[in-house]
Amino acid sequence: MDDSPVDLLDSYRIDAQLSNGELWLRYFELGGMSTGVDLEAFLLGFLQPSIHDHDVIAHALNERFVEMGGNHPVAYLEDTKHV
Amino acid sequence: MTVTGADMGFRLEATFVGFEAVLSLHGEVDLGSAPEFGAYLDWAIDQGHRFVVIDLGGLSFMDGSGLRVIGGAAERLQLSGGALSVRSPSTSIRRLFDIGGLADLVRLDQSIDSSDGVEIGTAVGIPVKSVSAASAGLSAFLKRMVALPADDEVVNGALRLVVALAQATVCGADGVSISLRRHGTLSTVAASDQVILAMDAGQYETGEGPCVDASVKGRRFHAEVLDIETRWPAFTPKALALGINSILSSPLEARKAPVGAINIYSRTTSAFAVKDQDLASVFAREASVILSDARVDMTDQQLDDRMSQALRNRELISQAQGVIMHRDGIGEDLAYTKLRRDSLRNGRPLHDRAQEVVDSARHRLEASDHLLEGEHG
Repeated sequence: MDDSPVDLLDSYRIDAQLSNGELWLRYFELGGMSTGVDLEAFLLGFLQPSIHDHDVIAHALNERFVEMGGNHPVAYLEDTKHV
Repeated sequence: MTVTGADMGFRLEATFVGFEAVLSLHGEVDLGSAPEFGAYLDWAIDQGHRFVVIDLGGLSFMDGSGLRVIGGAAERLQLSGGALSVRSPSTSIRRLFDIGGLADLVRLDQSIDSSDGVEIGTAVGIPVKSVSAASAGLSAFLKRMVALPADDEVVNGALRLVVALAQATVCGADGVSISLRRHGTLSTVAASDQVILAMDAGQYETGEGPCVDASVKGRRFHAEVLDIETRWPAFTPKALALGINSILSSPLEARKAPVGAINIYSRTTSAFAVKDQDLASVFAREASVILSDARVDMTDQQLDDRMSQALRNRELISQAQGVIMHRDGIGEDLAYTKLRRDSLRNGRPLHDRAQEVVDSARHRLEASDHLLEGEHG
């Protein structure tokens, strides 16, 4: 369970050098509907986000990684669930 | 056994039973009485009392200097297989322990039934082992506090904790403050007492001093002996008049730009050893993390602009979703996924791709309008 996607989200956030507040703003910008408190709970694995919510967070992180000159390392659940 | 300190506000009673020493403190433990308290505590440990109980029931005041003495003794006892407990801490003293984070070292007991020596309170673990551990724990806590879009009150509260912790752990610190430039003006957002507030104000008034320089130039300024200090001729006499003899100001940064300073003041000349200067840097980094998270480096206008941009992009993405739903006859989430995949495939941010989708739909609509007009014309 340690390497489940929700457990990993916060470590991606740290690698992306984003504060929780800044990630929330990016997530909101991309259409995210959850509050900052919920987002923090998703990142730490205390709450399970919906597949859609997870993917919006993943995309916010991936866009940040691309800005930093990287790829998009955070997997999207929607893209993996049919594989 | 009773010891009355040279400082008349402080008295200590000691009881020894086997390996246990119970030290009951009365009055005030501050800079004046802490050395005496520390010396006595060291002596008790040297005598082989590996289990020390410090009863604070009679204490009316304790500052960071007392916390340092207790923390040092607890560390020493833990290394030798002993333990240190604190009885009957008041709420404010408990908070001081809490802020300092002495949890792994000190056991805090709520109260004790003094008639038969049986503890009736609940042992409460409180967070501070070493400076690095305390700092790491604080950081996590403060990051939680500023996780949400931070208002001034939350940020200032977090900075006040940094001030309290710095004062409790930097040797020679008689007072600590944090100055922050907001809207182009330096002001004190957290200070340990009125004298320290006046010290900061003196620098803002004269426009000079270590705090001003550190917060502008982004590097540490250390005035070891104010008596012979020549860099700040207007400010130095004000500091000396308030009894301050050395100052250490370390810059605070938010997103790599200097935004303020953490200022540590001492009545003693050359008060800050190299390790204290390093410790000051630790707290400066801690405060900088808080400030970076709180985005105090952004002006109100920049914040407004960022929020407006986020709202615009959000609306744009929502519109694009609508276009795709209508065009492809699919649901909301699938439309979003489609948009997101397109954006990744084209290496474009989602809002850019959304703009293209919306523009394209608009052009199609305009073209069909023209066509209709042509047909009717």
